Amino acid sequence: MGEFLMTYFGEINKSMKFMAQKKKILFLGQSTEVPGNLIFKSLEGVKKQKKIEMPVFEETQMGISIGLALNGFIPVTCYPRFDFFILSLNQLVNHLDKFEKISSGEFKPFVIIRVLVGSKKPIDAGLQHTQNYHREIKSMLKYISVVNLKDKNQIFPEYKKALIKKRSTVFIEYSEKY
Amino acid sequence: MLSNKIYIPKNKKKIRKKIFNIDTIVNFEKEIFNIYNQGKIKYPIHLTKGNEVQLSEIFKYIDKKDWVFTSWRNHAHALLHGLPKNKLKKQIITGKSMYVSSKKNNFFCSSIAGGVIPIALGAALALKKNKSKKKVWLFVGDMTSMMGVFYEAYNYSRNFNLPLEIVIEDNGQSVYTDTKKTWNIKKLKYPNDVFYYKFKLGYPHHGTGQWVSF
Repeated sequence: MGEFLMTYFGEINKSMKFMAQKKKILFLGQSTEVPGNLIFKSLEGVKKQKKIEMPVFEETQMGISIGLALNGFIPVTCYPRFDFFILSLNQLVNHLDKFEKISSGEFKPFVIIRVLVGSKKPIDAGLQHTQNYHREIKSMLKYISVVNLKDKNQIFPEYKKALIKKRSTVFIEYSEKY
Repeated sequence: MLSNKIYIPKNKKKIRKKIFNIDTIVNFEKEIFNIYNQGKIKYPIHLTKGNEVQLSEIFKYIDKKDWVFTSWRNHAHALLHGLPKNKLKKQIITGKSMYVSSKKNNFFCSSIAGGVIPIALGAALALKKNKSKKKVWLFVGDMTSMMGVFYEAYNYSRNFNLPLEIVIEDNGQSVYTDTKKTWNIKKLKYPNDVFYYKFKLGYPHHGTGQWVSF
């Protein structure tokens, strides 16, 4: 039997559909329900009731994800550009990352974070839409894992691992590879 | 309706008649005050005094199973929401005064201004999705009630009819910065569907106001 050649996008979409099978999974963010960016494309095949289209309020979106996680949901919170994602850092760095420690181990909210790095080819989306702060984020987080999805072969195993281990993780995806 | 200097929105019902004597809060804070002055707490503490009556009244509207989110000045809220005194004391002595937490009591705090606001909003969204009868109670100060994140959460919760109750605790300042002066306003405005009370804080912003050798 020949091996099915999966693309970067195919692996992302396969991972999202795999996670969507979990009862408590919810996908949050802009363009989860409606077209507008690659987040929408990546969720092809995921049922509408699993998605929550969010207003533009990046920090609030991350906080909502934490609040949902405290009550048993598994939020997959999606940001279509790294440049937008950095607006959520108060909730990510000061709260989600430190939650277990500051709460004396009482709470361990589990949130999956997806961040896309904007593409420069074939169209350069510009300075405010294409930055990649992967190293900076990694250095700011003490306890949350950061996975840089450079290679398509990493994608499904890494998402599956995070889900099984229930470990909050930031996944960096690359629009150019879609 | 304004009673005991508390604004209580319309159609709110008390769950409990009496919680406990406010002396419990006063005495607890005095005990922490003394332990801190002995140099036995090598971490920041934010004691409260002057709002015990208002808090005791507001907590009559709060069910023990509800979520409570508040800030660094949280000892009274924790006691009123049912955290055992010993557990609370242990957390304070081990450096967790600013983020007292209890899973059993659905209680969490943050020492970042406005930090708990979107988390409380998410908890309220979860309760609605789970068709729970519980509520989320969010306590914020006057300065925090002017933050952008407050209005995002307020609008979202009201537009989606989420079970989020908000209490604004107005001591007129953030640390020692005057809220009205810095915003150039004469009176703090707040929505008519949130609880509100004014008080004068009887302790310094943090610590005890006394010189302590650690």
